[in-house]
Amino acid sequence: MASQKRIAKEFADCTNNAPAGMSIALANDSDVHKWHVTLDGPAESVYSGGKFGLVVTLPPEYPFKAPVVTFATRIYHPNVTNDNVGSICLGLLKPENWKPASKLLGVLEAVRLLLVEPQPDDPLESRIADEYRRDRAEFDKNARAYVQRYAKGLVKFDGTNVGPDAGAAGGSGKRSTG
Amino acid sequence: MPPPNTPEEGVPAAVSSPPARARRSARNASISSVAATIGSETQGICVGSVGDLSSRTRPCVLPINYQELRYESEVDKSLECPICRTPFSVPITTKPCGHTFCSVCLLRAHQMRPVCPIDRRPLDIDRDFCKARVIHDQLDRLRVKCPSQGCDYVCPRELLAVHYERYCEGTPVPCPDNSCDLWIARHDATPDKGCLHKYTPCQYCSKQVMKAALEEHYDRECSGNTVKCAECDVDVVQHRMESHVVNDCPSTVVSCKWSSYGCGKKAPRRDIWAHEKKPCVYQAIGRLVKDREEDRLIISELRARLSTVEGRLRMSEKEKTERKERKRRQASSNVDNTENTIPAFVPDLNLSNSPRAAASYNNGTWDSPEDYMLAQFERMETQMEDLRKNIHELDGLHSMRLLNDTMRLNEQIAELGSKVGVIGMHTTWLMNVQRQSRGQQRAVGGVGSPLGAFASSSGGSGATSGATAGGVSDTLRNAPDNEGGRYYSSNMPPRRNSDGRGENPPRL
Ligand SMILES: [Zn+2]
Ligand SMILES: [Zn+2]
Ligand SMILES: [Zn+2]
Ligand SMILES: [Zn+2]
Ligand SMILES: [Zn+2]
Ligand SMILES: [Zn+2]
Ligand SMILES: [Zn+2]
Repeated sequence: MASQKRIAKEFADCTNNAPAGMSIALANDSDVHKWHVTLDGPAESVYSGGKFGLVVTLPPEYPFKAPVVTFATRIYHPNVTNDNVGSICLGLLKPENWKPASKLLGVLEAVRLLLVEPQPDDPLESRIADEYRRDRAEFDKNARAYVQRYAKGLVKFDGTNVGPDAGAAGGSGKRSTG
Repeated sequence: MPPPNTPEEGVPAAVSSPPARARRSARNASISSVAATIGSETQGICVGSVGDLSSRTRPCVLPINYQELRYESEVDKSLECPICRTPFSVPITTKPCGHTFCSVCLLRAHQMRPVCPIDRRPLDIDRDFCKARVIHDQLDRLRVKCPSQGCDYVCPRELLAVHYERYCEGTPVPCPDNSCDLWIARHDATPDKGCLHKYTPCQYCSKQVMKAALEEHYDRECSGNTVKCAECDVDVVQHRMESHVVNDCPSTVVSCKWSSYGCGKKAPRRDIWAHEKKPCVYQAIGRLVKDREEDRLIISELRARLSTVEGRLRMSEKEKTERKERKRRQASSNVDNTENTIPAFVPDLNLSNSPRAAASYNNGTWDSPEDYMLAQFERMETQMEDLRKNIHELDGLHSMRLLNDTMRLNEQIAELGSKVGVIGMHTTWLMNVQRQSRGQQRAVGGVGSPLGAFASSSGGSGATSGATAGGVSDTLRNAPDNEGGRYYSSNMPPRRNSDGRGENPPRL
């Protein structure tokens, strides 16, 4: 309906001015409500060298409701759930913060920024957040190990590279609601 | 669910005659009334059926979805709604922060969260919105394509509703079959064709196809009974071959599309495409002539509208004089003169119960009291619209004039201010000189004239004269620091107060 035009424009915006290291495509050509984004780990972060898959899902009520962004690739990060869902805690997307006029390009930028600067004060994984604050060297080591293990090679969006066995590398921490 | 539409957008008040009720609510500036209109079903426009109550259950044409319109050229970003990112339809502006949105978009966002969708300022639905009139004109002028399928008509957005609702053959209208609630293009909506939404097997490929989509099926996907075009090697359904050769085949020899403007080129269609793209030198002329033709079309359309309006006016005038005549006759027979004082435009509200009124409507041009009422309403609405426009114009003129006047006054005030400042400076300087000379006079002993004292002091000790010179030059140096002269005009201390302390002239 009406949102179709808006989504088309947002998509054009994002593909034409894609943030550094991002490439954006539709999950399938007939549905504009699901995007697949490939993100190179920012060079200035511990995730550099990795390739991460992001799934952007636009609800039917978009732009009146916020889009949902998840990591399809496992990542060791205080603001991303350490499971095969990969939920992200992004202030911009919280229902009480979402503005119908916000642009998706800004959302993608924010996700990229989150890799450069994790926000341990607003965590989804409180254990990782603690580690990030107290023992940065250990955090960096773990994050790099995750990159080596999950974020190398072809990005898959079907969930096959976020298998449930992944707990071995970092262990799933206690979760807090972010 | 029918898409939300914008009934008021670009519908010239004089031409189409939607149910007056629906229109009145749409014109109200309050957003909650817009909400009511969006929710209601009486938004379609039924041409020429003012009193036809039976047709109100369903709009006469599929309402235009303004957010889905395609524009002839790129529309300026400033005319785009930040929510749907299409040119505004029925723009509305937030009062506290001045952000503009389509009414529909803002309403929807407001239902989710009662704040501005841009800066999240809390907004009250009844108080904090006003119509965005300034950009209305710009939006009206945007050239837009007709949304009907298969129609190439392009016109200013303002005129789209007229074309779409009255003239366009492709406009979706209710299916002639009463049991079917789908829409069908106007040229297919004839009772003899019946409901075209029923499926029928294609006679060439036996696939089930909706009757209305049969032509498209032949063109696009039909696989039965096809033949190869001898010229261009494309598979074509046999009975479409003729139209393929005439309209599509790239090998058919055709002439340039600007041929009627002087281009003599004739070639196979594929060469002509390249030639037209180059572009053909006659294109400029052709475009010009086409534009002129379009203008003429618009003019004639407007003229037709004018004549209907005039006709209606004449009718109502006739009716008015007839009524007056009747009243006079009645008055003379009844010898009851008070009836004459009722103004002509006040309709009798007691329509059904008054036999006299009913009789007068039945004899006149109007079929029923309701019709008469609606017509009157409509007339008043047009008048109100005119008045509103006039007021706006006057308002603009007024504020312009005000601005001009205040600007001049402000300039004069500033000039006066600076003059007062200069005078103030002079006064201080003079006062200081006087004070100092008096102080010296006193120091010398108060004998002789001030002039003499001055002369003697300058001839006296070098220290005193040095101090005097220093004092004066000090004052001079300080004077220009004092800007605007405000201090002098309002706060200048009376001379007597500082008289005793001549050595300390008032400083700033
Ligand atoms: Zn605002
Ligand atoms: Zn909008
Ligand atoms: Zn049309
Ligand atoms: Zn039908
Ligand atoms: Zn067929
Ligand atoms: Zn051919
Ligand atoms: Zn030509």
